[in-house]
Amino acid sequence: MNKPILLIVFSLLFSAVSFAQDVEKEQLPEETRIEVKNYIWKSERPTSSQADHSTFEILQQDFATGPDVTEACITCHTKRDEEVMATSHWNWERTEMLDGKGEVPVGKKNILNNFCIGVAASEATCTRCHIGYGWKDKSFDFTEGKNIDCLVCHDNSGTYKKGKGMAGHADPSVNLSYVAQNVGQPKRENCGVCHFWGGGGNNVKHGDLEMALLEGTKKLDVHMGIDGEDMSCVDCHKTENHQMAGKLYALSSENKDRATCEQCHTAEPHADKMINSHNTRIACQTCHIPIYAKANSTKMIWDWSTAGRLDEEGKAMHESDADGNHNYLSIKGTFVYDDHVKPEYYWFNGLANHQLITDKIDTIPVQMNSLDGSYADKGARQKTDTPSKIWPVKVHRGKQIYDTEYKTLIQPKLWSPEKGDSAYWVDFNWNESAKAGMDYLGLPYSGNYDFVETEMYWPLNHMVAPKEQSLSCKDCHTRNNGRLASLNDFYLPGRDKSNILDGIGIALVILASLGVLIHGIIRILATKRSKA
Amino acid sequence: MKKVYIYTLFNRFWHWTQALLIFILIVTGFEVHSTYNLIGYEAAVNLHNISAWAFLVLIVFAIFWHLTTGEWRQYIQTTKLVKEQVGYYLTGIFKGAPHPTSKLVYNKFNPLQRIIYLGLKILVIPVQVISGFLYLYFNYPLGGVELDSLQWVAYIHTIGAFSLMAFIIAHMYLTTTGHKPTSAIKAMVTGWEEMDDEEIHERMVNDIEEALLKTKKQFKGGNEKSQDLDEALLTAQSNIGSKINMKDNRFRDAIASSGVGYFCISKEGIFRDVNTAWINLYKYDTKEEILGNHYKLSRTEEDFFELEKSVNRVLNGETLNHGEVKRICKDGTSGYHTLTISPVIVDHEITGFEGFIIDTTDRRLAEKELLKKKIRIDEELNSKK
Repeated sequence: MNKPILLIVFSLLFSAVSFAQDVEKEQLPEETRIEVKNYIWKSERPTSSQADHSTFEILQQDFATGPDVTEACITCHTKRDEEVMATSHWNWERTEMLDGKGEVPVGKKNILNNFCIGVAASEATCTRCHIGYGWKDKSFDFTEGKNIDCLVCHDNSGTYKKGKGMAGHADPSVNLSYVAQNVGQPKRENCGVCHFWGGGGNNVKHGDLEMALLEGTKKLDVHMGIDGEDMSCVDCHKTENHQMAGKLYALSSENKDRATCEQCHTAEPHADKMINSHNTRIACQTCHIPIYAKANSTKMIWDWSTAGRLDEEGKAMHESDADGNHNYLSIKGTFVYDDHVKPEYYWFNGLANHQLITDKIDTIPVQMNSLDGSYADKGARQKTDTPSKIWPVKVHRGKQIYDTEYKTLIQPKLWSPEKGDSAYWVDFNWNESAKAGMDYLGLPYSGNYDFVETEMYWPLNHMVAPKEQSLSCKDCHTRNNGRLASLNDFYLPGRDKSNILDGIGIALVILASLGVLIHGIIRILATKRSKA
Repeated sequence: MKKVYIYTLFNRFWHWTQALLIFILIVTGFEVHSTYNLIGYEAAVNLHNISAWAFLVLIVFAIFWHLTTGEWRQYIQTTKLVKEQVGYYLTGIFKGAPHPTSKLVYNKFNPLQRIIYLGLKILVIPVQVISGFLYLYFNYPLGGVELDSLQWVAYIHTIGAFSLMAFIIAHMYLTTTGHKPTSAIKAMVTGWEEMDDEEIHERMVNDIEEALLKTKKQFKGGNEKSQDLDEALLTAQSNIGSKINMKDNRFRDAIASSGVGYFCISKEGIFRDVNTAWINLYKYDTKEEILGNHYKLSRTEEDFFELEKSVNRVLNGETLNHGEVKRICKDGTSGYHTLTISPVIVDHEITGFEGFIIDTTDRRLAEKELLKKKIRIDEELNSKK
């Protein structure tokens, strides 16, 4: 009568085992295409049906200035100028809610960083990366549509560039009508010209965005690799009415309009349920971006306090490290670069905060931007629509000027085309430059400055590695020196244990073994004696 | 020397599957705990989880088995002989003293085992299963429910694992303390354990004891009968543990006074032997009236069908402690008794079944005095051999 039961038990046990084998079979062979949504594979995409702009009469003229080209664009692309003027790419400003500070205007126009600090008072050079023409100071008209630079994003000729120190105007060498006749969807080159070069050099700021991505392989970035899907930025940063999805938490704060992995890959892209469930608390990026700055170095430390050392002739100088990266510039101070960097890991729920220029310094290092989140930010307590997730972050550490009396950060005036204009990069006088910068913003400056340590957090999203190079279990689930060694607000299997309980447990096992051993020996001896 | 069937097929299957699964769970579990690297973390996690599910399925079947076969009684706690058992492991075993208790069908476990195994069943295993499934499924939210922190679940699960390891070490060692060092393991593999004649006797006494206990439970209040049973029980109990001597008058009288009937039936269902108490209970006059007949004659039709099922189980090696049954006496009247049935084994083969019946009808009270004088249980036991 036991046999039916046994059969059922056996079959259940075997089905459990064969289920395990099925899971293995489901793992995709090397070259099998993964499943995605909201994406058309390169091989299945229709060839571009973009209009040939060289055939348009209105573009067959010698354009004297960029705004002339823009006026021509708007004749057909009516109202697009209004769309563009509603974007952050144009305004460098938006109002967002900051925890404990209320609604605050943030954006590149207002927020300080620990690279070149801020754009105020130095616009004419910084706005080389603005999608407009002529933002040289506060007088710039943000409502004038012909100030929009269509070409910097839509140039497909590869010949367009903006001039240095020209407040965003095209370089005089550019053939504007040739560029105007060769426009199209933005390519990586278009976005990269600013987003790769932020902070004054290739890959200085982000660490995961740089010019190597233009011609990189899948090894560098599985999405953009030219031997793979060769994706452009806008394939992920979906754009409608010139509003692009995606947030840069160096500048913005709210959990909205984000470009995510899940929009194509879904929240459950793996065959293994256990790995999928990790996505509840771990961002895709954490495992899939094991290192960044995989081609060129990125800046890890910027110490402004050493700036101003001039050569024997009183001129600005530069020194480079073994890799050819600057490690000292008179105008900027001392740097440390690094490549193939392991990210640092932080909880993040999509909300960031910022050290505003008006905020008192209350922590050292000053947190230029802080990523909100913790293990406990989940369930009923979670602040956003998802629990905090562990993110890979580039942390850029700096030392920059602040007001020792008012305990605020300082916006120095850095750039000027000429001497005697209080610009630090020309005159090397911190006091003058601080005064000029703060005056420009209408903010007080006590006249006393020093340098304070700062930290800035850059969540990583790019340079996604091929799956074979993703982190594996043991990178985190390991006793010592794991990737998550510093995230200590939760119990991580394989990393954490209770020393006391483990000690008691081991003692228990040792005592049992010893007891058995001693008992056994006595038994054997006793048997021998009784036989003897 | 005889062999007695102690562990049924399912019993053995359950034991060894559980052993294998616990082994896998411990090996993979400590890999997940980063104690060592053996098969790889991911493989360890997956194997651990699959084993956990298999274990859960096995537990469900084992619970069913315990309930339906009455095996759960093996875990009833007892204070009797705990001291003797501890004393045996601490000193007696070295002197070659006999086990204070022996492995019996009704009493597979000695008092210490009862404590430890019950602890294992209600503490360690449920704690491991519950904490394990919390660990597995409620670390991340499931159906909107999630653990606030994995920490305490993980701590409990880890200390549970260490406890199981300690248990297994002691358990494996103690299997060597049987008749021969390997006899316990052999029994768990084949189901048959060697026992000597004395142990067989003891087993019978135990059968009787079990039956008495069961009968006693059916009487409510302290009537005269219950007191008699208590006496019988006390005597029987005092005999277990020491060398049982079936010729012990006190025991014999106790059994006799409790009115226990004995029967032996061939596997074809033909009465081979009954004792006087049995004859009296069924209101026959002589043994000869019964011997050679099919046991059907003393049952109603539906009762016979029920009983036949039990008999088939016994003929497959099980020993049953049947509930109260109705009997049809020679004169057509009926009575009630509890019934124990166990297989008769000759040279590894089940040739029939035998057992004891204990009257539970009130009429028995009146006849008690008479029965007391007539029963000679030792003769019956001897003639059975």
